[in-house]
Amino acid sequence: MRRLALFLICTMILPTVELCAGAKPSKGDKCPVCGMFVSRYPDWLATITFKSGETVHFDGPKDMFTFYLDIGKYRKGKNRGDIATITVKDYYGLKSIAADKAYFVCDSDVLGPMGKELVPLTTAADATSFIKDHKGSKPLRLNEITPAVLQRLQ
Amino acid sequence: MQSINRHYNILDFAIASLLRRKGKNLALLTIYTLIVALIASLIFFVQALKREAAALLQDAPDIVVQRLMAGRQDLIGLENIDRIAAIRGVSEVTPRRWGYYYDPVFGANYTVMADAKLAPQAGMATVGLGVAKNQRIGPGDIFTLTAADNSLILLNLEKALPFESELLAADMILLNPADFGKLFAFPANAATDLAVTVANPREMVTIANKIVETVPGSRPIMKSEIIRTYDAIFDWRGGMMLLVLAAALLSFVIFAWDKATGLSAEERRETGILKSIGWETGDILLLKFWEGTAISLTAFLTGVIMAYIHVFFFSAPLFAAALKGWAVLYPAFHLKPFIDPYQLSTLFFLTVLPYTAATILPSWLAASADADSAMRS
Repeated sequence: MRRLALFLICTMILPTVELCAGAKPSKGDKCPVCGMFVSRYPDWLATITFKSGETVHFDGPKDMFTFYLDIGKYRKGKNRGDIATITVKDYYGLKSIAADKAYFVCDSDVLGPMGKELVPLTTAADATSFIKDHKGSKPLRLNEITPAVLQRLQ
Repeated sequence: MQSINRHYNILDFAIASLLRRKGKNLALLTIYTLIVALIASLIFFVQALKREAAALLQDAPDIVVQRLMAGRQDLIGLENIDRIAAIRGVSEVTPRRWGYYYDPVFGANYTVMADAKLAPQAGMATVGLGVAKNQRIGPGDIFTLTAADNSLILLNLEKALPFESELLAADMILLNPADFGKLFAFPANAATDLAVTVANPREMVTIANKIVETVPGSRPIMKSEIIRTYDAIFDWRGGMMLLVLAAALLSFVIFAWDKATGLSAEERRETGILKSIGWETGDILLLKFWEGTAISLTAFLTGVIMAYIHVFFFSAPLFAAALKGWAVLYPAFHLKPFIDPYQLSTLFFLTVLPYTAATILPSWLAASADADSAMRS
């Protein structure tokens, strides 16, 4: 009986635990780029999930892009092709969205945990409205973000 | 071991010497204890009230939007809901309908709120315990409210709200929106205010500014502002109480200072005798230190315990009237025990340390004097 219960727990709960683990950083998770504790800044969370199942959390999209543009430096032998998903937190709704769908606004007056940030927004209209309120330059898409852009945010 | 024994013996002697002047020291101890108890009560009470308010306001809406008409709060039109919901970053806008109802028979003011969840049908009502007690009704009973057109509205009491929500809901009557409209002749297309939920707290100020722009004549009130106001009110009231206590406090300080610093001739002679029978200056200082510590520590601990009992077991009857509020149906609630170690240690350093220091200094002067002249004087 006990074994059956254990089996049920393993089959029913563990998969969900695994899914959740990918979405939320634990208390001890540090950003691989700056070394800060990620769970303290849930509003700025960015996450890269590799096809191998490994998830890496960042305390802001800026650090996520620093990692993304130079993966080999942080994870030996991995490249962009190994990435399954990238998620960032939408500024207005604070919900996780896919980074390839997001609009990123830099040079705004909104600061993240690491100072100047690429603020992720869900739609182009959100981005326009955000730029109106918080200044900022033209919204960028995932593939438009280059090391030069990050350099500007240092 | 030997040094502990030395302390123990000196402490023993100190207590014996305190008991020799029983009346004077007992009077000092009593006043000292009362003063500490008063101040500690005040600190505990204000702190506990602040926490209680903050805990309650945790569930308050992020922004409350009111409409102003000639500088007074007025009803806000429901057409504004869509306008505010369209602002980016706003996740929800709910209209709230509430008001005050004065019951001339029982002489009490109730807060009446339209709530479709707790009063799903017309004729149903849920009330706070204060209202139930005041009207002497229980679940299943029928009571009446006088509507704006002087007709009577019959209401069936569904249930009384439980004790936990008493602070918030003692004077609350929850009605079905239809009854609420009838009771106050409340227009259907308006609300008392709008509760706005904002996902990102960083956007709060921007959204508040936009609300003023999109809904002219409106006044957005942010949760942080409400919390700050409550804090300020409790601080202000606590400060007023402290001011009232200041005279008592000051007279105690003078009394204690006089007692602690001015060595009587008798005490000076005692010091001289102790020195002549072989006590060292250090021993005498230790004796005085233990005397001072025994009195101030006893007073501090007893005072703090008395304050704790006063505030958390009896809900601070001494200050309640001045510090809580002024509503007739004020809820009988018990404060959750909470002690701020920072404030307690501040109180400790402000009472125990100065007193102990004040007892040691003059005796150091006396103890360093010549034994012979000390005995003669």
